[in-house]
Amino acid sequence: MKEIEEKIKETVKKLFKENKIDIFIGYSEGTLPLRSTPCLITRPEDIEKLVWNSYCFNNLAVYLPRFFLPQTQKKDVKLPRIGILAKGCDSRSIVGLIKEHQLPRENLYIIGIPCEGMIDIKKIQDAGCKMKEVEIVSAEEKNEKVIVENEDKKKIELKKEELLADVCTSCKYNVPVIYDVLIGKEKRKTKEEERAAIIEEFEKKPLEERWKYFQEQVSKCIRCYACRQACPNCYCKECFAEQTKPKWIGVTDNISDIMFYQMGRIFHQAGRCVDCGACVRACPVGIDLRIFTYKLIKDVKEFFRYEAGVSLGEVPPLSTFKSDDKQEFITEP
Amino acid sequence: MENLKLKIIKKKDVLNFLDSLKEEYNILVPKEKDGDIRFSEFSSGEDIPWDYRNTKISPKEIFLPRTETLFSFKEGTLTPSDSGGVFAPANEPKGSAQKTDSNKRTANYLIFGIRPCDAQAFSLLDKLFGGDDFQDPYYLKRKEQAVIISLACNKPQITCFCTSLKGKPDNEEGSDIILFDLGENILTKPITKKGEEFIENLNSWFKEAKEADIEKKNKLMDLSLKKICSGVDLHNIKEKLDEAFDISLWNEIHQKCLGCGICTYLCPTCYCFNIIDEMDHETGGLATSRGKRIRCWDSCMFSLFTLHASGHNPRPTFKERMRQRIMHKFNYCPENFKEIFCVGCGRCIRNCPVNLDLRETLASLMSFGSMSKDKKV
Repeated sequence: MKEIEEKIKETVKKLFKENKIDIFIGYSEGTLPLRSTPCLITRPEDIEKLVWNSYCFNNLAVYLPRFFLPQTQKKDVKLPRIGILAKGCDSRSIVGLIKEHQLPRENLYIIGIPCEGMIDIKKIQDAGCKMKEVEIVSAEEKNEKVIVENEDKKKIELKKEELLADVCTSCKYNVPVIYDVLIGKEKRKTKEEERAAIIEEFEKKPLEERWKYFQEQVSKCIRCYACRQACPNCYCKECFAEQTKPKWIGVTDNISDIMFYQMGRIFHQAGRCVDCGACVRACPVGIDLRIFTYKLIKDVKEFFRYEAGVSLGEVPPLSTFKSDDKQEFITEP
Repeated sequence: MENLKLKIIKKKDVLNFLDSLKEEYNILVPKEKDGDIRFSEFSSGEDIPWDYRNTKISPKEIFLPRTETLFSFKEGTLTPSDSGGVFAPANEPKGSAQKTDSNKRTANYLIFGIRPCDAQAFSLLDKLFGGDDFQDPYYLKRKEQAVIISLACNKPQITCFCTSLKGKPDNEEGSDIILFDLGENILTKPITKKGEEFIENLNSWFKEAKEADIEKKNKLMDLSLKKICSGVDLHNIKEKLDEAFDISLWNEIHQKCLGCGICTYLCPTCYCFNIIDEMDHETGGLATSRGKRIRCWDSCMFSLFTLHASGHNPRPTFKERMRQRIMHKFNYCPENFKEIFCVGCGRCIRNCPVNLDLRETLASLMSFGSMSKDKKV
């Protein structure tokens, strides 16, 4: 990891020196244990801040569209050239955004990093550190282990493999699909089948049970819109959830309003979601959003043989029509 | 002298004690659900998680619910909402902490075991909702009917920085009574007259505190205070920020902000709300004369917050919104209420999806050279 971190710094230094980028988006050390934080660098002297570790879980692609808003793209302004660190999922989001004409490829310099999986802080709980009881004051990554220290200076050793986020263990695109330079080239084994099995299991449940689960999950929502804001795909200037003319949904935390919001947002991800897990991680109340987004991914794959953000050439299913397109799902839910 | 008011109740008696008050009060206690703690209705036999750190969603939702109906209207007549108490009627939105048995006769309630920082936050909200200029009957009614019993912190979190503000693990402001968890015993200390009367009326449950108990409490609090090791020097922050509206630092501070509402929605002192009319569904929302006026939380981090009817938005980007959040808490509120509207609970730090740490933001603002010289935006 340290090696990769050094290579990243070297590369970014070179990019600034050769005047290839104006801004670099990467990660720097977080203020909390088990956290790294996104960082935007404009001054070469800040390059030393960059880090690479198992806590770099934020999807950095979310920061890109704001630099290339349609109104600035039309005007005769010089658009910034942005360097960005991309894990597999970030790179897939970037592909999606390029395809949806939100980003000019020529203004991006992508440093791809084959990702070994990022830690899910919530998993620490399952690993025997109930956060209610244990306050982790520091954490250290060593080989395949994470050593956390509690407030009484007691060290607890945890296996990194057990702490990886679900989206990471089932990810099969850990190597970026688009990049200008690739640092490292490890392909990691995944448990995609296991994940698919969970969804298949869920699909088999009776309609009422699925509906109940959905209601239970979304009723936790406090309408903070963190899921939307953390999602690179949610770049709409004005979200349907906030439109007032016409007004689509109420602003309350009434179950029907929340459900409308969640369903609307999730369905807008059909054929676009790259399963990066940004929404799940951002949600402060722990809604199991992925069971819904993953179902969409699975359906799009089955019906249209399409996976979002994998190649720049493939036409997204929602942008095209083929006479042999599946349509049973419309009539037989 | 003050020590005379200190009483002891056995921890194992607390559940029975609360049980005996169930008729008289609606009791809200910290409860675990899905791995988080939230204030919910006390049910007999369910133990109190004494060592809980803090709730994820702050207990401000008890007095300022996420959504509440102010009144309903029909062809020119108004019907006040019957949600006068904190316990919303059965048809109120799901998921709020105060949702409970609507058949309760009593309107009094007891908030048992909130953290001192959150209690202090109530006293800040009082200044807004019960100030000289405006009185908010919805908030005030709930507040007046409540006895607030806080629980001093034995185990602060790494994100706690109450000591940089006015707080400490046994801060008394905003509480009627404060409790200290001594292990087998709970030491109680009344703060307000309301709290004193409450304990006096229930005297049979308590006995005098011994010198040893008080010593133990003092030791625990010393230890706890030492555990709060993060902080920011906020001396004169109001004056510093007086000059800071146009400084270039705002361009950097907001950069990684995603613009979600977590920091404001989980904050115990953020109070901004939106008021809207919801028309009855059956008429399709068009030209109807029946509906409800609803108040719900709003956040300065949302673009819609300041969007004008003309389409103009005076806070068009994350930069202006982030600046507003900081300035409101640390400059405008000190101007208007002589108080910083932050209690240092650390919720916004702990839950920010991108680890945008308020302590860092404040520290960089505090150390930003001579602010007035740098006017570049």
